[in-house]
Amino acid sequence: MSSPDETLISEDSLQEELTAYLDGELDADARAAVEKKLSDDESYRVRLQRMEDAWALLDALPRTEVDPSFTQSTVEMVALAAKEDVDSAQASRRRRAWLGWTAALAAVIVAGFFGFRMVDQAASAKNDQLVRDLPVIENVELYRHIDDIDFLKELEAEGLFSDSVESEGVDDAI
Amino acid sequence: MAVSDSTARRYTLHDPDVRLMLKVRDDNDAVAFEELMLRYQNRLLAVLEHLVGNRALAEDLTQDVFLRVYRARERYEPGAKFSTWLFTIANNVARNAKRTLSRRKEVRAAAGVSGSMATGTLEQMAKEASGLMPARQLDKAEMSEIVLLAMESLNERQRMAVLLSKFESMSYIEIAEAMDLSVQAVKSLLSRARTSLRQALEPYLAEGELPVANGKATAGKK
Repeated sequence: MSSPDETLISEDSLQEELTAYLDGELDADARAAVEKKLSDDESYRVRLQRMEDAWALLDALPRTEVDPSFTQSTVEMVALAAKEDVDSAQASRRRRAWLGWTAALAAVIVAGFFGFRMVDQAASAKNDQLVRDLPVIENVELYRHIDDIDFLKELEAEGLFSDSVESEGVDDAI
Repeated sequence: MAVSDSTARRYTLHDPDVRLMLKVRDDNDAVAFEELMLRYQNRLLAVLEHLVGNRALAEDLTQDVFLRVYRARERYEPGAKFSTWLFTIANNVARNAKRTLSRRKEVRAAAGVSGSMATGTLEQMAKEASGLMPARQLDKAEMSEIVLLAMESLNERQRMAVLLSKFESMSYIEIAEAMDLSVQAVKSLLSRARTSLRQALEPYLAEGELPVANGKATAGKK
């Protein structure tokens, strides 16, 4: 004897089978099997007929028709949306162009700023070097008479060049 | 999802509505768009009215669907019949509208209308009418009202599947695509829907008679 669950499952699958048959969704073999069952089983046939009749009653549902103004108002609504789309696309293009120009301008300003900084730094580095070398430059005529670099270094070690700046200046200049 | 060339060619060849939609896409053809609207507005409205149970809202949603179709035109690829694509959009629009409505708690007791309440109303109609005139012939308006109530006894998904199957002649595969379900789920959905409809309409089958005074279904004999 089948359990209530099994009965329910077989009831469901029977129902699905008949529904699929009525909806033309069965393959040839399954359709032939249902048709065989229909010719053999009166209750199966009655059941199918009831389902078909209930389905046919759906034709009694009220027909829905739009008002004549509906089409016009929908067309207008879509036209308005199309115009909004065009406006929005144009605004977006303008915004992108404006952003592009702004970005280009910003890039020019930034490049100018860093360019100036680099030139400025290069120039001040040259000046720093000159400042450091000033003691040597001031006495360059004297140093020119001394051919020996080691001798100059000895003079530096003895403190002839009074402060460290001068000492560095000599080293660097040498 | 990308649509293969052969699929696109097949639908373009066999579905005139696809060809109209492609004119809308490629040429911004307003006449083609209007033609599509004329072909589908009543059908869409009918489905949406059954789904949301409110004519004014259904009209708004129908317009919303057309607006979405127009806005999606540039991305349109013929990967299905045009009607399948259109009712996929309609299904999403209706679902969103129902969600918004239920969130606002303004829905006309949608859950209450379905199930036992609707069945109760059907029974009540049968009893009332039969008390006055047993086994009388139903007129068209009454039958229409009864079938409408039977439809309302279905849940939303069953109703959508029934409408697409019955009035749009869609296959299970097409319904599955439009409702974002598996084919097996559609099969079960329609099977249960048909059972519910049969049960709800049983008393009115055959000669279209109302049951006798005690409300028992006796008029369905063939």
